[in-house]
Amino acid sequence: MERPIAYDKLAREDRWVRMRAREVAELKIAQGFPPFADLSSPDSIRERVHGILVGEIQAMEGAGRTVCDFPDAPWEFTMDMARQVWDESRHVEIYLRLLEHLGGYPGEFPETTILWRCACAEDAAARVAGVNRGLEGLACDVFNQLVHIARKIGDPILERAVEFVLADEITHVRMGSKWLTKLTEGDPDRRRKAIDFQENIDERFNLGGVRRDGDHEAVSISIATDVRRMAGFTEEEIERLVKTTQRSQVY
Amino acid sequence: MAHPLAGHFSVDHSARLMRNYRYAVERTLRALGGWIALTPELSAKLLMGRHVWDLAQLADAFGARLPELRAHAQVSEPANERVVAFMDAVEEPEAPGQTVERLVGVYRVLKPHLLASYHDHLIRANPVYEPPTRRLLLRCLGDERRHIAAGTTILGHLCATPALAERALAWQRRLEGLFAAAGGVTGEGLPPAPVDTAQAPIETSDDAREFVRLEKPLASWPMPEDLRAALEAFGGSLAVPNVGALARWLAPGVSLDPAREVLTAAALTSHRLVAFARLGHQRLVKWRLAGPDAAVTVLARWAPGPDGWRVAMLDVGRIEALRPALPRR
Repeated sequence: MERPIAYDKLAREDRWVRMRAREVAELKIAQGFPPFADLSSPDSIRERVHGILVGEIQAMEGAGRTVCDFPDAPWEFTMDMARQVWDESRHVEIYLRLLEHLGGYPGEFPETTILWRCACAEDAAARVAGVNRGLEGLACDVFNQLVHIARKIGDPILERAVEFVLADEITHVRMGSKWLTKLTEGDPDRRRKAIDFQENIDERFNLGGVRRDGDHEAVSISIATDVRRMAGFTEEEIERLVKTTQRSQVY
Repeated sequence: MAHPLAGHFSVDHSARLMRNYRYAVERTLRALGGWIALTPELSAKLLMGRHVWDLAQLADAFGARLPELRAHAQVSEPANERVVAFMDAVEEPEAPGQTVERLVGVYRVLKPHLLASYHDHLIRANPVYEPPTRRLLLRCLGDERRHIAAGTTILGHLCATPALAERALAWQRRLEGLFAAAGGVTGEGLPPAPVDTAQAPIETSDDAREFVRLEKPLASWPMPEDLRAALEAFGGSLAVPNVGALARWLAPGVSLDPAREVLTAAALTSHRLVAFARLGHQRLVKWRLAGPDAAVTVLARWAPGPDGWRVAMLDVGRIEALRPALPRR
């Protein structure tokens, strides 16, 4: 098998329209919409849920590639990544059903591949740092806020399902922290590169100030500091993330 | 009647079988993991995603049994080089259009054989001193039955035409030949299929019928009536192609020139609207145009304006040859 595969090999059914994240954001801003769906209306909640569905599909594909691409990594690493594939495949099913619940359909909004690109790092340590700590950390922020909004609008279906997904994501962050440490033991240079990769992803997904420290209803994506602590992020890491959100550039 | 302590397998032999099974299972789980990204169909992605973890647990259980049989833990070993060649062939179909071949290799050839091998091993393993192996094989049998049932459902859904069904059968025959030459996963031959396969219960949490339902596209996309009329007119003109009729729908500054060459180069006889996405007030619309030998994808961004809906961006993809070739061998 080809290992790893190129970014553009990601396979989709015809019903998906793929676009660059920057282009989607620019076209939405030009029409007077926020670049990233806020949670202020049923339409925007559905768009957010669709974006998460796409992210879960790419997370399943990314974890699957990690199982495939690193046959020489420790067996326990393969086990953790295989477990993550299973979790992500259930998340895809959950979000397909939630989209149905909200009256949407797969392909209702364009797909961007910015998450998938992050999942294509050639080094296993960089991949778990970027995906399990960077992207799954972002998922913790997004899902925590979605649970809050679901509770507020009185949607127990959305609330309960997303709460369980959030629990899985916390586990994935912990796996990421564990394997970042184990895979880079005795190799500070590799560890530094992996952490740089994660920080670069964190910076990109601050989305030019869209992700911020603040109340769930006041900011588009609020940083879930308590959940991040539970997932094993240090106070220093959380503080650094909050600081970077104050100076991020758009895309 | 055989003595209750009569045995068929030595400890070393049993350990070798564990390594042989683990080799096939480990390679399969890595292949399924890698294929998820290469497979377009959502139902097949979900199927693979579910089974990667099941197989990892089976590989782990085989690997954990090994030290109990005086062998190194978590080691995989092919029975012979022809088993390696068979697994290479199973992994070979990587193109987006080869989902059927990917699933056939795993769900119609390898897994039914593993099921038969585990069953054969189970009935020959001594019930007095090999219960750890027997329990492990029973667990494997349950998982494999469930996987085969789910894979069969998805394959039934994907093999929607006689041509696809024929392609699937041809690939199955080819792999079966390779596997027979290898003597199966253990190199000791192909045991007969156990008779009770069809009666296996299917867990609802792993219900492939639900994966198929979730994959099914909408019967009709929700859209304003004036846009629906515009899309019908535009789509009808794409396949002909009627350049004058198409030009009528273009917003000022949008040119048909880059599309004209592609649309006129291939004999395209049918058109189908395959995607309809929202982007603010605008809509992204994708058509699939196909002829006997080629297909092309057309993407247009439609924007509402004072004169109604108009194409604000038009992108025509590359011409694709239809009928992907079977994998080599």
